[in-house]
Amino acid sequence: MREQASTPGDALATQEGRPAVASRRGRSPRGEGPWAWLAAGSVATSLALLALLLGLLAVRGLGHFWPADVALVTLDDGRQLAGRAVKEAPLPDQEGRERLYRVGNRDLDGDIWEWVALERIQGIARPADLVVLERRRWGEFMGRLVAIESASGERLVGDAAWPALKERLAVLEDARQQIARLRQETLPPLVRRVEGGQASPEERAALASAQAQLAARQAALPGDTLVLKSVGGRSLRQPLTEVVRALQPNDMGPVEKLVSWGQGVWRFLSEGPRAANSAGGVWPAIFGTVLMVVLMSIFVMPFGVLAAVYLNEVAHQGRLIRWVRIGVRNLAGVPSIVYGVFGLGVFVYGIGGRLDTWFFEASLPSPTFGTGGLLWASLTLALLTLPVVIVATEEGLARIPASQREGALALGATRAEMLGRVVLPMTLPAMLTGVILAVARAAGEVAPLMLVGVAKLAPQVPVDGEFPYLHLERKFMHLGHHIFDSAFHGSDVQATLPLIYATALLLVVVILVLNLTAIFLRHYLRGRHGTRPTY
Amino acid sequence: MSDSASTSPLRRSVRQTRDRMVTALITAGGIGVIVAVMGIGIFLAVEVLPLFWSSDIEMASLWQAQSYQGLESPAHRWQPALLEGDGEPRFGMLPLVWGTLEAAAWSLVMAVPLALGAAAHSALFMSPRLRDRLRPTLELMEAMPGVVIGFIAGLVLAPWLDDHLAFGVVLVLLLPPGLLLAGGLLRRRLPMGWAALWLMPWLLVLWWVASWLAPWLEAWWFNGSLRTWLEVHLGLEYANRNAIIVGMAMGFAVMPSIYALAEDALSGVPANLVEGAEALGATRWQTLWRVVLPAAAPGVFSAVMIGAGRAVGETMIVLMASGNTALMTTNPLDGLRSMAASIAIELPEAAPGGTHYRLLLLAALLLFAFTFLVNTLAEVVRSRLRRRYRRLEGAP
Repeated sequence: MREQASTPGDALATQEGRPAVASRRGRSPRGEGPWAWLAAGSVATSLALLALLLGLLAVRGLGHFWPADVALVTLDDGRQLAGRAVKEAPLPDQEGRERLYRVGNRDLDGDIWEWVALERIQGIARPADLVVLERRRWGEFMGRLVAIESASGERLVGDAAWPALKERLAVLEDARQQIARLRQETLPPLVRRVEGGQASPEERAALASAQAQLAARQAALPGDTLVLKSVGGRSLRQPLTEVVRALQPNDMGPVEKLVSWGQGVWRFLSEGPRAANSAGGVWPAIFGTVLMVVLMSIFVMPFGVLAAVYLNEVAHQGRLIRWVRIGVRNLAGVPSIVYGVFGLGVFVYGIGGRLDTWFFEASLPSPTFGTGGLLWASLTLALLTLPVVIVATEEGLARIPASQREGALALGATRAEMLGRVVLPMTLPAMLTGVILAVARAAGEVAPLMLVGVAKLAPQVPVDGEFPYLHLERKFMHLGHHIFDSAFHGSDVQATLPLIYATALLLVVVILVLNLTAIFLRHYLRGRHGTRPTY
Repeated sequence: MSDSASTSPLRRSVRQTRDRMVTALITAGGIGVIVAVMGIGIFLAVEVLPLFWSSDIEMASLWQAQSYQGLESPAHRWQPALLEGDGEPRFGMLPLVWGTLEAAAWSLVMAVPLALGAAAHSALFMSPRLRDRLRPTLELMEAMPGVVIGFIAGLVLAPWLDDHLAFGVVLVLLLPPGLLLAGGLLRRRLPMGWAALWLMPWLLVLWWVASWLAPWLEAWWFNGSLRTWLEVHLGLEYANRNAIIVGMAMGFAVMPSIYALAEDALSGVPANLVEGAEALGATRWQTLWRVVLPAAAPGVFSAVMIGAGRAVGETMIVLMASGNTALMTTNPLDGLRSMAASIAIELPEAAPGGTHYRLLLLAALLLFAFTFLVNTLAEVVRSRLRRRYRRLEGAP
C-alpha cells in the first residue's frame, strides 16, 4: 500500500497528476490511504460474522434431521463399529488425525461417542441392513435387526423382520396417540373434580370408565420384542414400545431421505421434549412463547398507544414533557434483567403474594399467584416493551401533517373525534410496527423470564379444556429458555447440541421474520407520507 | 356528522362531554403508564434503602477487602451461599462490579473499531444502493437474541478457540494487513463503493492463509503450544470460558447499535461542509478525518456510550459465555461474573427481604442508574448535535 496523500499538500499534488475531470462517484479511490480500506474491511468483517452465524445455525440446525448414512468402520484389529462421523482432530501427542463417531448404544457401551485414529481404519462400508432406532430411553441404537418376536411367540427372522417392524411401529404410533389424548385431555379435569370432592356420580363413572379404557389400551399395546445385535457382536432385546422411530438410512434414496427429513422437522415442531430436554421436540416451548407474546401484546398495545397519544396530542409541550419523553426513550436501554427484578419484586412477591392471601388461602403454603407464572411474565415483558411501542407510535403521530388535524378541527370535530377518526387511523401502521418490534424483542428475551415464571419443563400447557381454559398462574416453557436450559443443564451437551442448534434456528427465524415485517412496514410508511421520521 | 346533529344543543353537549371524558381518560392513562414505567427506579430504591440501617451488614464492607476465615490476607469475595457449613456468606460487591466492567470493556474493544469503521465507510464511501441494504441487515443483527449469541459463544466458539487458539490469534493479526493488501492489489479493478461485498471472498482467502500459517507459527515461536507459552512466559492461565470470548460475543451484539447511531451522526453532517472540503482537494478520507469526524464527534461519542450501556446490562451472553466465576483478575483469559448474571442466577433462590435479596436489588439499582444516566447523557449530547447541524446548515 502506498503511503500518499497524508497531508493536504500531497493531496493537491496527486490531484494535479490526474485527469482534471472526475465525477464525484466515478473517480478512482486512489490516494484514500490505508484507513479507508480498514474501514471497508470492518463492514465486510461484520457482514461475514453475521453470515457465519446464520449459516452455522441453518446448516447445523436443519442438518440434524437429515438421515445421514451410517458407516460401518473396520479397524486394523478386526473390530467393527457403526456410526456417523462428527468431526476430526489431530491426535493429542503424535502425528496423524483421529475421527469422532457418534455410535449410539448407550445401554451397551455406556457412551455414545468413539474416537478412532484414522490410520487404524481398514475399511469403511455402508451396508444397507444397518438400522437406526430412536428410543425413549438410552437414545439411539445403531446395529442390525436380527428378529422380531411377538408376544404370542411368533418369530420373524431375516428379511421379513424389517417390514414387520415398520408395520407394527405404525400400529403402535396410533395407539400411543390415543393414550396420550386420554391422559392429557380426558383424565386430568375429571381427576381434579373428584379430588376436590365436587364430582357428580356421572363424573365418577366417567372417570372410572376412562381409566379402564386407558388400562385396556395400554394392555393392548403390541408386546413385540426386537432382537438386535450391534456390529460389535453384542445382542440386545428391545421391547417395541420403547421404540419411537426406525430407519435404515443406507437403504434410502434421496427422495425417501427428504421425506424422512420433513417428518423429522415436523416431529421436532409438534412433539414435546423427552429425556430431560435432551431429545424430542419443542412444541410446548413454541406454544408457551406464542401465548406469552400474545398476552403481552394485549397488555402493551392499548397502554403504549394511550401514553403516546397523551405525550404527543394532549400534554402541554413544555420542558417537563420533553424530559419525560427522553426518560421513556431511555427506558428502552435499561437492561432487561432490571425489568425482571421489578416483575419479581412487585408482581410476584407484591401483588401475587397479596392475591394469594386474599383469594387462595386454602392452598396457601404452596403459592398460586405468589410464584412466577404466565400472567406475571407477560406483564413484565409488556413493561419492558412499552417504550418500544410508545416511541414507534409517537413517531407515527409526529409524521401526520398538522393540516390534517387542523382541517378536522375546523370542520367542527372535537378533539376526541379528531383523534379517533383522523389521526389514529392514519397512525395504525406505525402502531403495528411498534407492536411487531415489541413482539420481536419479547420473543428473544430470556433473562427477565428466568425470574418471573419460565419453567424448565411444564407438564401442563397453560391452555386446556378445563374452566377457565386459560391458566394465567401456570408456569410455561419458552424457546429461548429451552436453549439455555438444554445447553447448560444437560448431562451430555455434545449429544444435545444438534437439537439446540435447531431450537436456536427456529427462534432466530421467528425473530427475523418479525423484524423484516416491521422493516417493510416502516419502509412503506415512509414512502406513503414521503417524509423521514423526525427522531 | 350531519347538519342537524351538529346544531342540536343536546347533541353538542353530549359530544363535548364525551370529548372531555376521552381527554381525561387519555391524560389519566398516559400519566399512569408513564408513572408505572418510571416506578421501576423508585421500587428499586425503596427496596434497597433498608440496607443502610440494617444491622446484618455494613454498606462500607461491601466495597472494602475483608478478612475471612481461611484466607491469609483481606480479600474481595462474592460467595453468597457457602456450602461448607459454618462459613458466613461473603458479600463483596467489587468482584461483580469488576466483572461487569471488564466484560463491557472487552466488548467495546471488539465492537468500537468494527462499528466506527463500518459507520465511516458507509457514510462516505459506500455506494448508496448498498448502503440502503446494509442498514436493515445490521438492524437484523441487532435483533439477534442474546441467548442464541450466548449459546454460540459458550458452546461453539469457546471449545473451538480452546482447540484453535493459535489459529484465532493469527487470524485476528492477519486481518488488518490482509485487508490493506486487498486494497492495494484490487483498488484499480474493483470499486470502493462495493468493497464491503467483494472483500468477503478475500476474507475466506485470509482464513485459509491463517489456517496454513498457524501450526507453523505455533511450532516456531511458541514451542508447539501457544497456551503453554502464555502460561509460562506471561503467566496467563487460559480458562475455557473467558473475558475475551464474552467480549467477542457481546461485541457482536453491541456493534450494530453503535454503528446505527454513529452512522446517523456521520451522515447527518451538513453536505456543504463535505462538499467544501472536497472542493478544496481533500480526499474523502481526509474529509472524514478533518471535517466530518470533528463535527460529528459528540454523536459518535454518544453512540459508544449507548453501546457501553447495552454491554453493561446484557445478561444472557455473559451468563452463558463467561464461566460465572467471581474473580478479580486483570487476566483477560480468566472467567468473570457480572452483576446481571448474578441477579439472574441467584435472585430466584434468595429469600425476599433478606440481605442477599436486597444486595441483588442493589446491583439491579446500580445497573438501572448507570444505564439511565449514560443514555440520558447520550440523548442530551445528540440533541445538542442536531441543533449544531441545523446551525451549520444555516437554518435560523
